[in-house]
Amino acid sequence: MAEIKLLTEHYHKPEFQTLDGYKKNGGYDVLKKAFKMKPKEIIEEVKASGLRGRGGAGFPTGMKWSFLPDNGEPRYLLCNADEGEPGTFKDRLMMERAPHQLIEGMIISAFAVQSKKSYIYIRGEYTKCLSVVRKAIKEAYDAGLLGKNILGSGFDHDMDVYSGAGAYICGEETGMISSLEGKKGQPKLKPPFPAVQGYLAKPTIVNNVETLAAVKYIIRDGAAAYKKIGTEKSAGTKLFSVSGDVNKPGTYEVPLAYPLRDLIANECGGMKGKLKAVIPGGSSAPILNADESNKVNMDYESLAAAGSMLGSGAVIIMNETRCMVDMLNVILHFYHHESCGQCTPCREGTGWLEKIVSSILLGRGRPQDIDLLDTIAQNMKGRTICALSDAAALPTISFVQKFRDEFEFYIREGRSKVTGQPIKRKNIKGSHHVEMHH
Amino acid sequence: MLKCTINGKEVQVKPGSTIIEAYMKAKENIAHYCWHPGLSIAGVCRMCMVEIEGNPRLQIACNTTVAEGMKINNTSVKVKESVEWTLGFHLINHPLDCPICDQAGECGLQEYYMQYGKYEPGMAEHKVTKDKVVDLGSKIVLDKERCILCSRCARFTEEVSKTNEFGIFNRGDHSEIGTVDGMPVENNYALNTVDICPVGALTSKDFRFRQRVWYLKDFDTVCNGCSTGCNIKVYFNENGLYRVKPVYNEKVNGYWMCDVGRDVYKFADRDARQVKGLRNSNNQVSQDFAGKIALEVSQHLNSQKADSMAVVLTGQYTVEEYKDFVSFFKAKGVSQFYHWINNPDKLNDFDGILYRGDNNPNTKGLAKTLADEGIKVKPWNELFENVESSKVKTVVVAGPEIQKFYPDLESVFTRLNKADTLVWLTPGKNDLFEKANYVIPTKSFTEKNGTFVNHAGVEQKIKKGVTVVSEALTLSDASQLFSGKTAVGFESNVSKGHAGATL
Amino acid sequence: MFQLSKDGLAFVKNELTRYETKRSAVLPALFKAQEENGGWVSPEVVVHLSQVMDIPMSQINEVLTFYTMYNKKPVGKHHIQVCCNISCAMAGAHEMADYLCDKLGVHDGEMTKDGRFTISRAECLGSCDTAPVMQINMDEYIENLTYPKLDQMIKELK
Repeated sequence: MAEIKLLTEHYHKPEFQTLDGYKKNGGYDVLKKAFKMKPKEIIEEVKASGLRGRGGAGFPTGMKWSFLPDNGEPRYLLCNADEGEPGTFKDRLMMERAPHQLIEGMIISAFAVQSKKSYIYIRGEYTKCLSVVRKAIKEAYDAGLLGKNILGSGFDHDMDVYSGAGAYICGEETGMISSLEGKKGQPKLKPPFPAVQGYLAKPTIVNNVETLAAVKYIIRDGAAAYKKIGTEKSAGTKLFSVSGDVNKPGTYEVPLAYPLRDLIANECGGMKGKLKAVIPGGSSAPILNADESNKVNMDYESLAAAGSMLGSGAVIIMNETRCMVDMLNVILHFYHHESCGQCTPCREGTGWLEKIVSSILLGRGRPQDIDLLDTIAQNMKGRTICALSDAAALPTISFVQKFRDEFEFYIREGRSKVTGQPIKRKNIKGSHHVEMHH
Repeated sequence: MLKCTINGKEVQVKPGSTIIEAYMKAKENIAHYCWHPGLSIAGVCRMCMVEIEGNPRLQIACNTTVAEGMKINNTSVKVKESVEWTLGFHLINHPLDCPICDQAGECGLQEYYMQYGKYEPGMAEHKVTKDKVVDLGSKIVLDKERCILCSRCARFTEEVSKTNEFGIFNRGDHSEIGTVDGMPVENNYALNTVDICPVGALTSKDFRFRQRVWYLKDFDTVCNGCSTGCNIKVYFNENGLYRVKPVYNEKVNGYWMCDVGRDVYKFADRDARQVKGLRNSNNQVSQDFAGKIALEVSQHLNSQKADSMAVVLTGQYTVEEYKDFVSFFKAKGVSQFYHWINNPDKLNDFDGILYRGDNNPNTKGLAKTLADEGIKVKPWNELFENVESSKVKTVVVAGPEIQKFYPDLESVFTRLNKADTLVWLTPGKNDLFEKANYVIPTKSFTEKNGTFVNHAGVEQKIKKGVTVVSEALTLSDASQLFSGKTAVGFESNVSKGHAGATL
Repeated sequence: MFQLSKDGLAFVKNELTRYETKRSAVLPALFKAQEENGGWVSPEVVVHLSQVMDIPMSQINEVLTFYTMYNKKPVGKHHIQVCCNISCAMAGAHEMADYLCDKLGVHDGEMTKDGRFTISRAECLGSCDTAPVMQINMDEYIENLTYPKLDQMIKELK
């Protein structure tokens, strides 16, 4: 399959980070083109392109935009740059290497949805992104690309950056809105959806960094050209953040539906060791075993059919030396740590799951713990305001199902089936079993 | 109106109603902790799951609006399992210290456990521990472990009292309710948070450990703490009165009441009461039945000229009492009626929520009765001049039930006691009163039927709920006795003993 | 008692009007106050910000305790945060964090007695292709960590 580079074409050029360098490479030409279109035409173009949200949920972008009520209220465009899903680092790279590409995509999108104000919500740990993007915004203001009457179009738009402060849940769009409002980043009840009542209860569109940048290329090349890439329901290119046991981890842009085995073999320079399992869409995605990984294509439908999901496109590759009990513990520690604490099943369930797996790692597992993990997870699924509960539940269910033998072995022997040793590290929270008397 | 079916029952609800409101209307049970009709929707406890026909995913009833023709149930196995697990999640880190918990008997966790309990909890890991017995000032004690993080109290102090003391700090299973640095919660609505706390996390210092709730009975009445007239429930048993809680009344107080009103039971209870009639002749004080004293007063009144008598009224009695009392004196030819106002400069104060500066439940009712009887009250100061000049020789005072709201009580009493004869009717005791010529104990608001008219003119009926001082008289009883009828006020049954509402 | 510097106060006042709602200033104000209070947010800081911003203390404290980048207790001059999420864990980050703790004689999240270091484990820092990764204070990431790199770093950081 031919390599197609849209978003990453100029990543290797340091000059692309500056306004001048960006302009030299065609920067802001598409914005001029967009201003010659009607906002509705842009929305139609984005709809026709088949672009789906690149942050994780995969919701059709054009459709999301068309949910905005026509009620004359101010509208906000929020760029979700709170990249926190473990394994994901594509947005950080985009902001560091091509900040103007994001800004241009955002101005076009803002024009399409007729928003006069946008925020880029960047996770607080991304200090470099924060300074690079702030600088780029300033350059854009100085060049008349932001502010009043942009490029003589009559369109006004202000853009600002807001820094997160360390909370994965702010990547959930309504959690992000709460945070931007100066509160705990707790997700909001839906309905109402942000398009109707979002930031400060005003109509709000929240899109991921990659999604907004892709809009630029849809307008540049036309929806038809974009839709030719990938498949019918998974159109365009996708940035995959690949990490783990491969020779060349990194961010790769390939057409959607690209085979996972090709991604590993070609882009990533092959496996380090023997392929055992892949988490294909960030740590909340159900894990695939080697067989499944070798067969699957990287698009929304194929991964769903394989029982997992494309998510944010974070591909975590594991070789035969990885202990699955240990890996699940790392994942569960994360979701336990990041649960916002609002909804009971998630607040209580995430901690319970981690404690059980920790107990297994410490050699205190009970045979019934394996089924208990599955049952707890099943009862955390689909019962909460946002998807974090599911994000802890789905890996649990899939790990226990696909690598049950490793859990059984560890419980029986008090050591890892893979390494032959107990997993030892200081942060495994000891949770002694309390004997139950009935 | 929209039609929907709740557990097979058809109900009609207003457009925009949520499913949980439809459940309330259908009088069908639905488990819930965080939803409260007087607060915003939080949707976090996840207890109110329902199944909507045609929707594969369970939904929370509190944040889902009813659509025409919706068929909803919470009785299917799927819903019950979901609620059972959610309750289980609520309990895994809960201390289960019911034996030492003051909420026992009225705890939401206990209640639903009987209905949905996951009797094999399966949690064998260490629980998250949090602070217990956190002192939050003069009114509230907090137990962070028992809190189920429903956020009702935090929403209350944000949305209703607007005082923002409570917050939920930290995140995940380390989230805990609290105030910054244990700052006390002293706002005048604080105890509502105890009422709406569905578990034993917030308890009232005044009430905790004084009674197990299953030993209490209750009755509904109207608070006599100010002119708002919040609807309340009074809790009592044979040992006395224990607490009051608000009762919903859309027109008057919504779901809430103020903390000043929380104390009104104390003035109705035995320790605060004048339990016997008193007479003082030449500084010899003797006790007698209330009725007997009233008859002696009757004889005295008969010996006096009408124009040497003055009647003083406070806004703390019922419309019916005023009517009888005023009619009696009017018939006697008395024309000097005075309205004793406790703190005139604060009379029109209002805190914007419920509490009013007029600490009388029936100022409006008194004014209306006097107007109906064609009586014009005399200027307050004239009374003292007339007493001092001996134009007035006998003063009959229907004194306040809650004396603390009458900062001028002592000075008024002292100045009126300069009259030849002072007759003081009162529900509450005070050593001062022994100096009056006659003291007649009267019924408290918990012991009589009648009407209070609140600041907005809303007439509210109060009903006799208990008898604390059985020989105490209403003003109506007193009027009867003053006119020589002898049917009331001679039994003596001052409780230990008010064993129930029928006494 | 903590007080914002003149510049800090000017920053906070500006943030109060920068966004559509005053409350949005809470997050940036906490960062600023933390910077001026030696790297952590003490209870007095919350009191001060509440007064300066006219925002209830409970609302500020909720934010403070929700986000991990605000330190609720004193931290060392160099707050070393080792990412220990999945890709970094696979690359040996947990062992490196344990190594640093042992070397400096502290537990996870503790400050060294001389006040130079605090070692903590961080969740995914979003640099999984260069695992293991760490961040010191709010500086740029240190990537592709190795034990010699750790040793050298501890030596060089004063």
